[in-house]
Amino acid sequence: MTTARFTVPKQRLAQLLKVPGGLPVAEAVAAAQANLAVLKPQCIGELDQLLAAAEKIFAGLGATYDEAGVGALYEAAVRGIGLGDVCGAGSVDVALHSLCELLDHLQTHQRYDREAVGVHLRAWKLLISTELPPEGAQAVLAGLNKVSALYSAPKTDEA
Amino acid sequence: MGLDPTSRARFNLKDASVLLLDATPLGMSILVQIVTGLGAKSLHRCIDGETARAAVEGNQIDLAIVDSMAPSGEGYDFVEWMRRDAGEPNCYTPVLMTTSHTPRSQISRARDCGANIIIKKPFPPITVLERIIWSSKEGRKFLFSDTYVGPDRRFRNVGPPKNQKGRRREDFTATPLPQAKASGDAGDNAADIEAGVDLDGN
Repeated sequence: MTTARFTVPKQRLAQLLKVPGGLPVAEAVAAAQANLAVLKPQCIGELDQLLAAAEKIFAGLGATYDEAGVGALYEAAVRGIGLGDVCGAGSVDVALHSLCELLDHLQTHQRYDREAVGVHLRAWKLLISTELPPEGAQAVLAGLNKVSALYSAPKTDEA
Repeated sequence: MGLDPTSRARFNLKDASVLLLDATPLGMSILVQIVTGLGAKSLHRCIDGETARAAVEGNQIDLAIVDSMAPSGEGYDFVEWMRRDAGEPNCYTPVLMTTSHTPRSQISRARDCGANIIIKKPFPPITVLERIIWSSKEGRKFLFSDTYVGPDRRFRNVGPPKNQKGRRREDFTATPLPQAKASGDAGDNAADIEAGVDLDGN
């Protein structure tokens, strides 16, 4: 039989947050946002590096499932999530999340779909481009959604 | 959670001891820039579980923001250790878990590690602040059991699952939510934020 014990701990953080002084929400959020803007060049550079690494791994993969290769691609993609938003290219984060979902699906089922992975990498490259207009980014993401939809519905033969 | 980013309500993180755990330098920089912007001064920056455990063993931590560190999921292991083995008061410290992507194989680890809340990247500063305030709310039960140690994950007492007989004493006093709201998580409850800290702007 499982035993459970409840307690209601005091949270020092709750008391600290109420200490007089501090910052107004608006001021603090603006300061944090300004702090993040400083990181924009680094985030762009890191996304470029991760893309280059991912493209190199992809080029070395064959047509069949390669556990180490797909895992390495996942590591490159997952490290980039969150950086796009900081450098004003939030659509990159969406594309990278979609790529991670795809790679996770492929790892789970030990399958490989070179075309679907390639589409995501090309989208990543396009979305990093500062010259891509917002409607262009939306069109790219809509294309990725179609690819992702192929993997979102469970297939009966995999049940 | 409904915190107005233009609010003049005040909060104070200046004296809070904040642990940050992220293995990537840029991920850490993003966390640092956000929490220092929100007013935190005392930071413990940790790049792996080992340094994070040392920080917890040597300091009282008021808030921990921990990356799951996919694909290894080392962040989940750290939070589980903190809940089970760090001892009081740090075992009760509010933990915000950040994640880029959660692989299917790690969903149960994420759910069961004992974090107060999980934040998906990218997260704007207002989201981090909302979650900090929400996680610090007093009066929330903390559970110790064989299989789980952490804050009570039942945010609302809506009774037992449909067509099942309740086993808990609280089930008899449960007030089921309207159907439209039943699927909402704790993040929808702005009242929780208001109860956690006075943010009425006075």
